[in-house]
Amino acid sequence: MVSRDTSNGPLSAATLHILLALAGGNLHGYGIIKEIRRSSEGHYRLGPGTLYDNLKKLMQAGLVADAAQVSPPKRRSAATKEDDRRFYTLTREGKDALAKEVDRLQSVVSQARLRLRESRARV
Amino acid sequence: MSRIISRFAYRFLLRLHPASFQNEFGAEMLWIFDEEDQQSGAAYLLFDGARSLLRQRFRLQNDPGQLSIASGTIITGPGMSPLRLLQGGVSVLLIFFCLIRVLSHANSLFPDVKWADRMSCYTLTLEAPSHAEVVLTSTP
Repeated sequence: MVSRDTSNGPLSAATLHILLALAGGNLHGYGIIKEIRRSSEGHYRLGPGTLYDNLKKLMQAGLVADAAQVSPPKRRSAATKEDDRRFYTLTREGKDALAKEVDRLQSVVSQARLRLRESRARV
Repeated sequence: MSRIISRFAYRFLLRLHPASFQNEFGAEMLWIFDEEDQQSGAAYLLFDGARSLLRQRFRLQNDPGQLSIASGTIITGPGMSPLRLLQGGVSVLLIFFCLIRVLSHANSLFPDVKWADRMSCYTLTLEAPSHAEVVLTSTP
């Protein structure tokens, strides 16, 4: 099942933030929350319920995958609590969807700049 | 004490999620709750958990086994029996009761200010149309 907002765009704010966080590298759930908080400078908050609800949809849509299934898991010789966590990775489809969304946002920004310039010229 | 109650309420919320979701993400969600409890506040996490529960249970899909309220009617299939709906309703009520208890406990930490004790009462009197006199009297 591919959900509407992950196949045709525009992506929801939560989906976009999750994909952006994973574009920097594989992360576990809490890592994604912390990365989103850091990159948005605390302006965007994502709770665990919203995160996993979106991750589930993204995994079903094939945009995000379990990192352990994509590449072999790390050696557990110096296992810490973090090593036990499930890591998520962006798939090729996920990267494409993110690139498409960034292009869409880019065109929105270009349009907005043009309109603002025109309205300033009229005043 | 309130932390134990909120953790209990969150675990209860997780248990109400569909079994597949619970098995896949439940442990990680509880781990994040423990880590974030201090930073984000239990009320926000409980609200987020309740929202997630509603989304998981009542997601609008073409799946006939799920709830559909798009046409203004509630259609239940094998995935959502009326008994499940009742259970969900009772659970949501219980969670909100717990939330109110936690929040009311938090409010009791702050002093109760009665504005009536602090406010003075002023009377404004306009005497004649040609010259107006303003009389301000303060009553304790």
